[in-house]
Amino acid sequence: MEILLQLIYSGISLGMIYAVIAFGYQLTFATSGTLNFGQGEALMLGAMVGLTLVETFNMNYWLMIPIVCIFGAVQGGFVELIGVRPAIKIKSEFGWIMSTIALGIIFKNVAENLWGRDDMKFPSPIDDDPIKLFGANVLPMEIVVVGGALAMMLLVELFNRKSIYGKAVVATSNDRDAAGLMGINTGLVITFSYALSSLTAAFAGVLVAPLTLTGATMGAALGLKAFAVAIIGGLSSGMGIVVGGLILGIAETTTGFYISTGYKDVPGLILLLLVLAIKPSGLFGKTAIKKV
Amino acid sequence: MKIKYLLLIASIVALFGFPLVVSNPYYIHLVETILIYAVLLFGLDIVVGYTGQVSLGHAGLFGIGSYVAGVLFMKLGMPFWVTVPAAITITAIFGGLLALPALKVIGPYLAMVTLAFGTIIQILINEMSFLTEGPVGIKIPKPEFFGHVTTEDEYYWIVCALTLLSLLVVHRILKSHLGRAFEALRDSPVACDCMGVSVYRYKVYAFIISAGFAGLAGSMYAYSEQYISPNTYVIELSVLFLLAVIMGGRKSRIGAFLGSFIIVMLPKLLDDIELFRIVAVSLAVLFVLLAAISLSKKLTTLRKVAIPLSGIVGLAAFSFWLQNITDWRLTIFGFMILLVVYYLQDGIVGFVRNYYSSLTGKSAQAARDAEALLEIKPTDKDVISAASDTAKGGTLLSVKSILMQFGGLKALNQVDLTIERGTIHGLIGPNGSGKSTMMNVLTGIYVPTAGDVVYASNSVVGKTSSEIALSGIARTFQNVQLFGEMTALENILVGLHHTFDSNLLDVALHLPKYTREESDARARALGLLQFVGLESLANEEARNLPYGKQRVLEIARALALDPNLLLLDEPAAGLTAPDIKDLLVIIQKIREHGITIILIEHHMDVVMAACDKVSVLDFGQKIAEGKPAEVQADEKVIEAYLGGSTA
Repeated sequence: MEILLQLIYSGISLGMIYAVIAFGYQLTFATSGTLNFGQGEALMLGAMVGLTLVETFNMNYWLMIPIVCIFGAVQGGFVELIGVRPAIKIKSEFGWIMSTIALGIIFKNVAENLWGRDDMKFPSPIDDDPIKLFGANVLPMEIVVVGGALAMMLLVELFNRKSIYGKAVVATSNDRDAAGLMGINTGLVITFSYALSSLTAAFAGVLVAPLTLTGATMGAALGLKAFAVAIIGGLSSGMGIVVGGLILGIAETTTGFYISTGYKDVPGLILLLLVLAIKPSGLFGKTAIKKV
Repeated sequence: MKIKYLLLIASIVALFGFPLVVSNPYYIHLVETILIYAVLLFGLDIVVGYTGQVSLGHAGLFGIGSYVAGVLFMKLGMPFWVTVPAAITITAIFGGLLALPALKVIGPYLAMVTLAFGTIIQILINEMSFLTEGPVGIKIPKPEFFGHVTTEDEYYWIVCALTLLSLLVVHRILKSHLGRAFEALRDSPVACDCMGVSVYRYKVYAFIISAGFAGLAGSMYAYSEQYISPNTYVIELSVLFLLAVIMGGRKSRIGAFLGSFIIVMLPKLLDDIELFRIVAVSLAVLFVLLAAISLSKKLTTLRKVAIPLSGIVGLAAFSFWLQNITDWRLTIFGFMILLVVYYLQDGIVGFVRNYYSSLTGKSAQAARDAEALLEIKPTDKDVISAASDTAKGGTLLSVKSILMQFGGLKALNQVDLTIERGTIHGLIGPNGSGKSTMMNVLTGIYVPTAGDVVYASNSVVGKTSSEIALSGIARTFQNVQLFGEMTALENILVGLHHTFDSNLLDVALHLPKYTREESDARARALGLLQFVGLESLANEEARNLPYGKQRVLEIARALALDPNLLLLDEPAAGLTAPDIKDLLVIIQKIREHGITIILIEHHMDVVMAACDKVSVLDFGQKIAEGKPAEVQADEKVIEAYLGGSTA
């Protein structure tokens, strides 16, 4: 029982990481109908840059986070400019799928060449001693992850709802053409959404890094499973990704323990296929009405 | 035509003769691998090029093919002629399993789902050691026939033969009604469904056929490499396959061979820095020359070529800066994807074709099509048959207090309609009154919130669009929904899809049943084009037709369905006065064949001239019904169109 509870705790913190990355998918999907297939690599780059700042420049973990966020935003803007904007212009679906994959491959390869192929340990910014919670152990970092992930999502939501710039984002996601006619620079909004999306991914990267190993290949699996979360929860539902993230996170840690770590990715992916077969719009998503 | 056949024969001879000329087994194995990948690409092209879906799961399917062959050999000692068909069948089944949930979604969803599928397959191969030996892999010798183990050369010939066979089969499938269905569902899924060709079902078919080819390729690969292990079938391989299809050229078999050649040679090229430098520089020189020619002929502008030009020249410069190429392989690979995606969207084959036609000013395709047309004669028989319906008079369709609600909006509110057989029933009303919504309810695109639609004494509510279409309700669309990249003739042939009963085997072997159905359909399609006066444009792509012609083509396509009831959604919109006159003649002729028509129209002269009875909708409610003249005089109707005096 104690073990199960402990697995649930680590499942929750993992799930919140998935939710933050999935949140990033939602941001770009809302404004432009596109996704960054290199989202996992954005996370990896965030963690790598964070590690360099902490290890090489001896920077404080908490001070490093804003710099990593800025880096993430720049990286996201770059992806949009190089990979997505031309594809939107020529209305090619293949275009942005292939080009964001290609950019992801390039980022991974560059990271391998810059930081090497081996996984590295990210020093934990706070105490490593577990805390007892209802009889099971929790790492303090796991609590930070949950809190940080929720705070990030709330901040972006608040920004979208309250500020005038956020209103531009919401307007663009409702109807890009109409927003454009109202004088909103929709191209800029899309770039901005990509920047914000990679920012959240980079942030998730430095959050998760102390719990796992940091390496060039850490992003791919996280990116794919976060996508599963986005689909399971629904690409338009904030509630959905949190619930989806928790389901997937807990399924993963329990499978890893009770069956085999090799199979830990399988339940999430199968759940993804099942949700698509039964309710393609996701557990919390609304079904779109097609117009003829 | 002759030259083409000679070339084909020459290349087949060259292919088979290759081991006799080149004795180095390394090169023979290389060509063998190219052929095997080409078979997979034939299949992938069906999904990507024809139906327009993105699949990142083909490495997984390829892996299933390899492992079925490997496991059957290792565990049961099965011979080649059992393992290969088994690999094809089982992979096809997996393709179907993937397609059933995946194809309910589109675009980015599909790409990610297939990616997830590929990942699951790789994990399973890795973890199910009791079956697959896990990371250790499986060793398989070359196949054995009657106690004789084939040599490298002999196996090469087997691969050659199977590749050619695949080429023939895939070519025949794509030229048949199946291939047309695949193309049609990409161009306009809605219209495809309304032509009785279920989009979902044909997408799944496409995936299954595609997976079958992946299975064949996978099993041949296992025997070719003689060793298989899980880390071959990774996501990068799927991306590589996709790159090959796009780079070679979609919807082209030559493109598949080219793409396969490139992805097999690319890793070799990226292993050797000297070779890479030479290729990068010659590519850059070639591109500069091409750009110079294009610029001098004013085919393009400096701004357009600047970015790809600097990209390619930059790549060449980068190659000299590099010390160790293997570390940067993936970066170069990613860079190539970017270049291909933006500057070589039609692939090498498409690029050469376009370049050739823009230099000479004529299209190779058109010439070939014109030749093909000479072979068909329109049928003498009556091209329009009002299906099985022989009853005269009585009610054909009755709509019973239908309610269609979108959120809080009632687009149709308790509407009743009764359509008599053999009549032309007009449906008019101001914009937004619910006319097109009614069409969509009748054809199953919308499922009504409440109420019932009874057609020929059966309820159609809840049936899919394609079922409804096949039961005899055909339609045209307010905003024309033709299959743009297909010719006018092919558009009609999609409408005639229901006349085909041939299965995959009939198509692959060109059995008499299929050839008869195909020639009948072509003759009838040309007859239908004649009926609407488009026979001279039979081989023009639908998107190139003038607007008025597109509208009548849609009507002809709908007639191909042998409908009892034809729904015309604003057929006269955007037509010129003489075109409208022709349209009225066509409508009268259709009616004389006993087909009942519902006509939505804003041109009152058309409505008044053609209709027997008119219903008027306003804000989702029926406000008047009767003979055209009565309706025209109705107070409420005038008010709806011109606005009320006071409330």
